[in-house]
Order: sequence, then structure tokens, then C-alpha cells
Amino acid sequence: MKGRSLWMTAVALAAGIGLWPLGLRAEGPGCGAPAEYLVSGPLPGTSAALARGNLRVMVVGSASTQAGGTSSPSATWPQRFVRILSARTPGLNVEVQTFGGRGTTAADHSRLMAEHGPGLRPHLVIWQLGTVEAARGLSADDMADMVQETTSRVRAARGERTDMVLMDPQFSRFLRANADVESYRDKLRLAAAASGAQFFSRWSIMKFWAENERLDLERAPRSLRVTIADELHDCLARALVEFILDGARPAPR
Amino acid sequence: MAISLIPLVRPGRDLRVDFLRGLALWFIFIDHTPGNLLGLATLRNVAFCDATEAFVLLAGFAAGIAYGRIMEREGWLQAAGRVMGRVGTLYVAHIFLFVVFTAQVGFSAAALDQAAYLDELALDPFTQEPYRALLEALLLRYQPAFLDILPLYIVVLALFAVTLPMIRRPIWMLAGASVLYVVTRSFELEPPAWNGQSWSFNPFAWQLLFVIGIWLGRADPVKLSQHFPWNRWIALLLVVLLIVAAALLNFFWHGATSGIEMPERLSGWMASIDKTSLHPARLASVLIMCWLISHLLPPGAAFLFGRTAGSFILMGQHSLPVFCAGIFLSFLGRVAIEMSDSLLMQVLVNVAGLAAMLGVGAVSAWYDDGGRRKAQALPTAGQKPKVDA
Repeated sequence: MKGRSLWMTAVALAAGIGLWPLGLRAEGPGCGAPAEYLVSGPLPGTSAALARGNLRVMVVGSASTQAGGTSSPSATWPQRFVRILSARTPGLNVEVQTFGGRGTTAADHSRLMAEHGPGLRPHLVIWQLGTVEAARGLSADDMADMVQETTSRVRAARGERTDMVLMDPQFSRFLRANADVESYRDKLRLAAAASGAQFFSRWSIMKFWAENERLDLERAPRSLRVTIADELHDCLARALVEFILDGARPAPR
Repeated sequence: MAISLIPLVRPGRDLRVDFLRGLALWFIFIDHTPGNLLGLATLRNVAFCDATEAFVLLAGFAAGIAYGRIMEREGWLQAAGRVMGRVGTLYVAHIFLFVVFTAQVGFSAAALDQAAYLDELALDPFTQEPYRALLEALLLRYQPAFLDILPLYIVVLALFAVTLPMIRRPIWMLAGASVLYVVTRSFELEPPAWNGQSWSFNPFAWQLLFVIGIWLGRADPVKLSQHFPWNRWIALLLVVLLIVAAALLNFFWHGATSGIEMPERLSGWMASIDKTSLHPARLASVLIMCWLISHLLPPGAAFLFGRTAGSFILMGQHSLPVFCAGIFLSFLGRVAIEMSDSLLMQVLVNVAGLAAMLGVGAVSAWYDDGGRRKAQALPTAGQKPKVDA
């Protein structure tokens, strides 16, 4: 009898350990995004700005930077990014300005950066692009050229003290099925590597969340969409903060 | 099933060409269903070129043999007429597939009930400018994603109808094609497109690959292997090059960049490899593979007479219907994978897709076979060489 209860305790304990992550949601940083997507190359401009306690961020992109189905503009990932980063690094003053909007292309973004960049003098530019190009079937090669030219220009403007982070489209089965997204993502990744920009793969991270039933906006019932969009933007901001802090670590790399 | 298909294979041709064509058609089906796990195993993952290059090269090969023969026997007018007849068939097939594509996008969008964050995915210009979109599609100036190979094929074949007489002077034909290729790349020539789009495959550049195919198809195989003899060391060097390319592609092009930093100059070069105007690296890749395969796989290899190869040969011998069926099936596959990307669905899409393509190949072969027998039975019917280019 005693042996049996010991046996039962062991089983219960094992089951408890097995179920523990489900119960407590003890997920990794960045809403459990795979660690390999949260690793950035060095971001010297951001690193220096963090050390001084003042970070200017310029966000340029299409729809998701403005609203993207969230409850309000302050619920979008750029605004959440500021709040989460400030909370993570006490004493840091973060300013963010967002440019672009629904349906804007890499060429539009490049113009916006040329127009507003010099006045803003950002330490960090987060450039979200690729969705509109893929959806409209615009040239992926032209997009890659535009990224390389613009990145070189932006980085050169402040003597390599401005970091550029590219962000690819949101994961969507609909987009994947009806546009050749992979070609655009491949080109973005190469263009980033060719011009010294870092590449934050929103697509891969969201695909992971969707496949693991963590967050799946596309399959969310209509009544829950705004709530899930808010959560998605929150998680994207958390993952992005991890990525940026990884790149800005002052320790010798 | 495969055993009973073997008798349908037409003998007396270079079965390697048909086999590779069949394989390319299968890869095109796979690459046209994004999300398909087999897509990780096709040519584009290990080489700078993909099945499109193989398809165009081998289409040129077959066209050179078939229409070259008609040109010699019946003259330019007859041969050009036959080529343009094929162009017409391709055009009708393209418009049919365009209609199917539009219906599929509409279905997908409705089934998904378009989430708010998808609002900028105006994939369907029919909602904004329906009549204009239709007109532009008829003019080939509007080509939706995944419907880009047939327009290329149409323009390249139409160019071939005009330049047919040059087939007697293959070196001139090659030289002309090379000049057009270089001019196209240097001056960024491009056929017109609508709405800021561009042709996925610029026919003025890609025609070079087709012409190389024609030249290879018309050349005497013995002379050809004298011109490009087997050399173990060159082969080894090329194999190493291909392996390096495969590694680069998998580490940097398709894979995650995190962790490993690639020199900016190397990534800059890789980013410059465009598919639209057939970057020389892509051209070189497909030609290197062509040379390696032509020497490593002899025409009489036992493998080619087996069941597996037989199935692909059958598809390759009826490339147009199988190609169109493959594109059509890829639409269905995309809808299916969009709804569920479970392993079961993946297996279902791939098994059903390949079986259907094989079925189309078999039916075409059976149909052709019947036609040929009828023609033999009627002594008055003119024996026309079979054209499948």
C-alpha cells in the first residue's frame, strides 16, 4: 500500500512537471519567440545612446506601424516598444516617431527617411517593409536595391552611428498562398546583410506563434480580433526589445 | 500503376531530356505551392537556378528538334505557322489559368474573412479596376504571382517563329541571342507592365537560355561531346562550386542570418543575383548542371528504363498539358495548405498533385497514340512530325 502511494506520488509529480509549463505559462523572453530570431548583430549607435540614457528611434513602415487592427494607435508595436524598452532600462528616455502608412512601398519609405531623417537624427531606424511589394507584385530586385542604397545613406549620415533594423512582413497564410513572399523575404535578408542592417524576422516569429497556437490573428474569431491584435503587437514589441537589447549589449562580442 | 504507364513512353528520343523535363515540371508544381514542405528539397534550395531555368532550356531543346525538322522539310512559313499555333495554345492556356487564379484569390479572401491587418493586401485588382485588369491581363501586362512562366514562354516562342531561318546558322543565332541578352541587361530593357509591376521573367534576357537549348537540341551529340569533353578535374571543380553555392544559399539566402555574419561584399553580390533578367550566375548554374548531367547520366542508363524514371519521362514528353495541369493543381494545393498545413495535408497535396500530373501525362500519351495509329491507318493523311515543344 505504501509502495503504491509512493508510486502514485511519483506519477503525479512527473505529470505535474510535464504540465507545469502549460499551467504557469513560463515562456521565454519575447513571448517565447525562438531564441535564434532574437539575436542581432552589433548595434553600436543604439548601444552608445543607451549608455547616455537618451534614444531616438525612427520607425518607418506600412500599415502595422499605424494601426494594424489594434484597438488604438497607442496599442501598435512601435508605441509598445517604447514603453517596454523604457521599463526594461530604468532612466532611459526613448523618443519614437513613426512615418509611413497603409500601402506605402520601400521607395516611399526611402523618401520619408531622406526628408525627416536629418531633422530627427535617429540612433535607431526600424524599417518595416515587403508586404506591399509582395502583394502588388512589385520588383523584389528594385526593393533590394532601394534597401541597400537607403541603408548606406542613413548609416553614413551620422558616421555609422545610426543603426538600421529591417523588419519583414507579418506571417499570413493568405499572403503566403497568394503572393511569392519567400522571394521578397530572401531579398530583404540579403539586402540587410549587404548593407550592414540587422534583420528582425517578424514573419518567422509570427509563424512560430501561429503554428504553436500561441497567437494566430488570421484564425482568430471576428469578435476576438482586436484583443488578439493588441496581444500580437505587444508580443512583437517584446520580441523586438529582446532583439535590440541583444544587439546593443556593451559587452565585448 | 507505373508499370502500365511504361508502354506509353515514346521511344527513340533522348529519354534523359524527357526525364529532366518531367522532374522540372514536378518541381514547378511544388515551388508554386508555398508552404509545401517538399519546397525545401527542390533545385532552388541548392543552386542559384531553379526548375524554371531547366524548363526553358529543355523547351528550347525540344523546340529546336521539332520545329527545326519542319523548317527543313516544309520551309519557314510552315514552321513559323506551327510555332505560332503553339503560341496561340499557350496564350489560351494562360488566360484560362488567369481566370482560375482570380477565382482562387477571391475564394481564399472570402474563406478567410479578411482580418484587418490584411487590408493592404489588395491582391485582387479586380475589386478596384475590373475591366482594366482584364484588359491588362489579355495584353500580358498584368501577371499575378505564380502566373509568370507562360507569358515568358509565349514571347520567347513568338521570337523563335521570326528567327527560325537562323536555325541553319546556329552560331549566328547564339551570337544574336547573346547580344540581345547583354543589351537587355546593360540597358535594363523590359517589356511593358501595368501598375508599377515588372515581368517576373524578362523574355529578352531569358531567350538566350531557350536559344542555347535550341542549339544543343540541333547539334550533333558526338561533336558536342568533342567540343565539351569530359574532364575529371573540371568536373570536380564544378561540383565543389555547386556545393559552395548550395552552402551559401542555405546559410544566408534562405536561412536565418543570425549568428554567422557574412562579408558585406559577398552578400551584396548575392543580393544582385536577379532572376528577372537571368543573372549570369543563374545561367552558369544551369549550364554547369547540364554539362555534368549529360556526362554522368548516359543516354542508355538502366535507371531511365525503370518505373520511377518512366513516370517522369511520360510527364516530360507531354510537357504542355502537364505544365498547365501542374499550375492548375498548385492553385488547389495552395488553397488546401492555406486551410491546414498539417503533415497529413502536405502528404495529401503532394501525392494527389503528382498522381494527377502523371494522369494528365498518361491521358495525353494515350490520346496521341490513338491519333498516330489513326493517321497510319489512313494512307491519305499526311504524316506530320509530332510536335511537343
